[in-house]
Amino acid sequence: MNWLQRRVRPEQIRELSLLLLIVVAVIIFGSLIDGYYTSRTFNRIASSVAIITVVAAGQTLVVLTRNIDLSVGSIVGCTAYFTGSLIAANNGLPPILAALVAIALGTLMGSINGVLVAWGRVPSIIVTLGSLAIYRGILIEYSGAKTVTTDSLPAWLVDLPQNALFTIGGLEFRTMVVLAIVVVIIFQLATSLLSFFRRFYAIGSNPEAASLIGLPAQRMIFTSFVLSGALSGLAGFLFLARFGNITVEAGRGLELQVVAAVVVGGVNIFGGSGTIFGAMLGGVMIGTLEQSLFRLGISEFWRDAILGLLILLAVASDAVILNRLRALWARSDLKLIDKTAALPGAASGTSSR
Amino acid sequence: MTALSRLKSWEGLLLALLLVILFFNVTDSPFFLGVGNIVNLFQLSIEKIIVALIMTLIIISGEIDLSVASVMGLAACVMAWLFQMGTPFPLALLAAVASGAVAGLFNGFWIAYVGLPSLAVTLAGLIGYRGIARILVEDRAIGGYPEWFNTLGQQPTFGPLTLSIVIFFVLLILVVVVLHRSALGRLIYVIGNSPNAARYSGVRVKRVKMALFVASGIISAIAGVLYAARLGSVRGDMAQGFELDIITIVLLGGVSIFGGSGNLVGVGLSILVILNLRNGMGLANITGNTQTSVIGALLIVSVLLPNMAQLIRNKWRGSET
Amino acid sequence: MKKYLMAAAAVALMAGFSHGASAGEVTKGKALNMVLLPKFLGILPFDQAHQGALEAEKELGNTKPLQFLGPTPENSVAGQIEIVTNAATQGVNAIMISNNSGDQIVPSAKAAHDKGIKVVTWDSPIPSAEGEDVFVAQVDFNQTGQVMADMAMKILPNGGKFAILSASPDAANQNAWIKAFEAVIKDPKYAKLQQVDLVYGNDQSELSYNQALALVDKHPDLQLIMAPTSVGIVAAAKAMQDEKLCDKVKVSGLGVPAEMLSYTMNGCAPNFALWSFVDLGYLAYYTAYALATDAVKAEDGAKFTAGRLGEYTITKDPTREKGLRILMGPFSIYDKTNVEAASK
Repeated sequence: MNWLQRRVRPEQIRELSLLLLIVVAVIIFGSLIDGYYTSRTFNRIASSVAIITVVAAGQTLVVLTRNIDLSVGSIVGCTAYFTGSLIAANNGLPPILAALVAIALGTLMGSINGVLVAWGRVPSIIVTLGSLAIYRGILIEYSGAKTVTTDSLPAWLVDLPQNALFTIGGLEFRTMVVLAIVVVIIFQLATSLLSFFRRFYAIGSNPEAASLIGLPAQRMIFTSFVLSGALSGLAGFLFLARFGNITVEAGRGLELQVVAAVVVGGVNIFGGSGTIFGAMLGGVMIGTLEQSLFRLGISEFWRDAILGLLILLAVASDAVILNRLRALWARSDLKLIDKTAALPGAASGTSSR
Repeated sequence: MTALSRLKSWEGLLLALLLVILFFNVTDSPFFLGVGNIVNLFQLSIEKIIVALIMTLIIISGEIDLSVASVMGLAACVMAWLFQMGTPFPLALLAAVASGAVAGLFNGFWIAYVGLPSLAVTLAGLIGYRGIARILVEDRAIGGYPEWFNTLGQQPTFGPLTLSIVIFFVLLILVVVVLHRSALGRLIYVIGNSPNAARYSGVRVKRVKMALFVASGIISAIAGVLYAARLGSVRGDMAQGFELDIITIVLLGGVSIFGGSGNLVGVGLSILVILNLRNGMGLANITGNTQTSVIGALLIVSVLLPNMAQLIRNKWRGSET
Repeated sequence: MKKYLMAAAAVALMAGFSHGASAGEVTKGKALNMVLLPKFLGILPFDQAHQGALEAEKELGNTKPLQFLGPTPENSVAGQIEIVTNAATQGVNAIMISNNSGDQIVPSAKAAHDKGIKVVTWDSPIPSAEGEDVFVAQVDFNQTGQVMADMAMKILPNGGKFAILSASPDAANQNAWIKAFEAVIKDPKYAKLQQVDLVYGNDQSELSYNQALALVDKHPDLQLIMAPTSVGIVAAAKAMQDEKLCDKVKVSGLGVPAEMLSYTMNGCAPNFALWSFVDLGYLAYYTAYALATDAVKAEDGAKFTAGRLGEYTITKDPTREKGLRILMGPFSIYDKTNVEAASK
């Protein structure tokens, strides 16, 4: 335990408490719902969370730098629609290229946000509240009220959501789910291993110190918005594949779900702490609650009230568990100090100062 | 550039903007200056601007309340449900306002005493309070309130002014006094400026935060009831999505989302700017999504321009020396 | 203001003559300010209605351009009220509303109506009919229930369990159709059809898609999802297709042919119904124009001719106590044989 405590900080394993809560929730729902432990339940939750998770990964980077990106829903809608109409017009477009177009479009929209926040020095909530409306407005204006329809899309795209890449013990891992997991793994590894990505934490937790040691804060903030846009673009592509019919309303209100996932996932809204993995768990937590409440047969009208309460409980118990962990760590830190203080050299060292 | 002069330049900018918009509105539409239109201009958004007043205090204190629109809906639905159950109407009104107070207490408890982030708590509230409203009215639309209630909500009661407009101005004065002329107001700024330093003064911080969220709940509930009176009928989706418009007004008013700065002169001007802009565009037959885009662009540009001017001025000075 | 009053007076005067000449004949070439107000912008059916209204405008030779004004989807109720109020301030001649606000629009519609503005609703009426001159009904709302029941019976000739996926709990027309549907299937003829659930997808693809799947999970022996909303029906069909459930669970309801084409052809949604939104916009415009020129009065039994659609009669609305309506009809029911032609 001591060894573990010296190597790991509570903040680093806070995801554990959330994971614990998800397991508890699954056990409770499993005992209430017949046939809950099936691959079908897994599929439902995994697929419904996939798109949100991809967007939440980007959002986490933005939130780490003490910013927020509320325009993600509009970016998802725009990329889904414009990529959809492009593919509808050129059915021969290779899948990779189509996905790249979506990502590029998202990147462009994210960069506009990023430039305004980083160099225009406009608070991110103002920029993205504005671009939330503007991007959606552009979409409505240019769509001419036409819908992208499934029959105009090539088969590979329409069938993408139902393709399983591989199966483990009856659990199907579908392309979209695997893609979301890959995104989470890449960005989780990057943010914990690469020094470039570690800067997101430095800038968010202590901007003054970060600028003192010469971290390019503006460039990092810009990067976070670009990545958020790019991942929203990818999510837009997934959105297109999943729903086939894309109207100008696509992705409306997604920002709220994404922010909910990030917040429940323990990412500090004031920057500097939290992980991509945590944001994913936040999304899974909400997805599990939503799907399971429905299976329980709870009236349509009761579901939101219960969901709101459960989200609050998740956030609260997460905070309580984390505080406990911190207290545990603090106590053992004290012990450590006691031990070192007991050593004669150390004691004289401190007293001589 | 001192903080004070920056504040002044912000309000100056809003004032200039307002004058430009007014000029366009007057020249563009012969209907703009009618008394009826001016009253409508306020009346059409009156509930949002009432809630914007208390939202200003909350954001200055460094917190946020995303649940306001759901509390508006909840209060209206509590009123409608009780009325339909045969409760005497004044009692139903009281219960509606009380439900807002309870919602505010609930938010305040988790934020002030448990220490959870307000964004998370009120996000849960946004979902949850709307959910309770839904449980109460389900898929019904409940109307048929006493005639005096509808009249109060729709007809002028004080000269050409409606009751809600009067309530807005009374509340405005109250909030100005609290924020700019009282010890409580100074404390709100202090809390917003440095949440950690303020925490040392202990219980008072918790009480102030609690009071702010309860006030937010009560005022949102009153706004919800006024909205019900204006529309004469209540549904589960009452006021859904209003929180974004309300926060937009406050932010355009120069209130920092990080707390500690901003004032009610700015928010007052921001209200006038947005309301006149919407009204003018409406009279010029500009559609809803273009209106929202224009307000979105305005929001960005109004912060961007002074920043750019500052940057260029600094560069210019830098090259001189 | 003066200008408009004079125009209105002139219109009234001339309408007086034409009324005497031949009742219900619409005088062409008047300059009328008219507003077409959809629930919100950017959705195909409303755009089609706009096209139809423009066609009528051209035929009638109205020299004032039609204003097609709509709110944003997330601000539909407040936005509709704002547009009606502003139109009243401007003193337009007629407003055509696809009402998304239930009776909440009554105060503003009444204010407009009191100023002498003709208020015509189309697609979705004002439930209490207050402040409304007449409702241009696409189809008889009770008939919608009948059509839905018949489509269900055709898919499940031996009966079975079905669930309804609606738009939002606040959508007045959807609620009316579902009520009519539930009334129709009480008939012993439909005794084998059993409704097991009613859920809402809020007219959003994501939610509708997830709700459709959740229905299948919750009711393992579900055989049909009936979705009387053009957003819900495609989302449900795509969900069944993605989960390879089309053999087991069919989808039906109200949908737009172009959006439904692939699902009807591959059997996920064997049949669905709709009416022509182009015609609906066209008829709404004719009605509003005829009322505003006083060629016809909003009263039971009044007749007028609406261009290429022929003669219509204003009658009492059997589905609303105080309302008047014009019934357009008919329903078009689509299946494999005709969906391709209709989606062009």
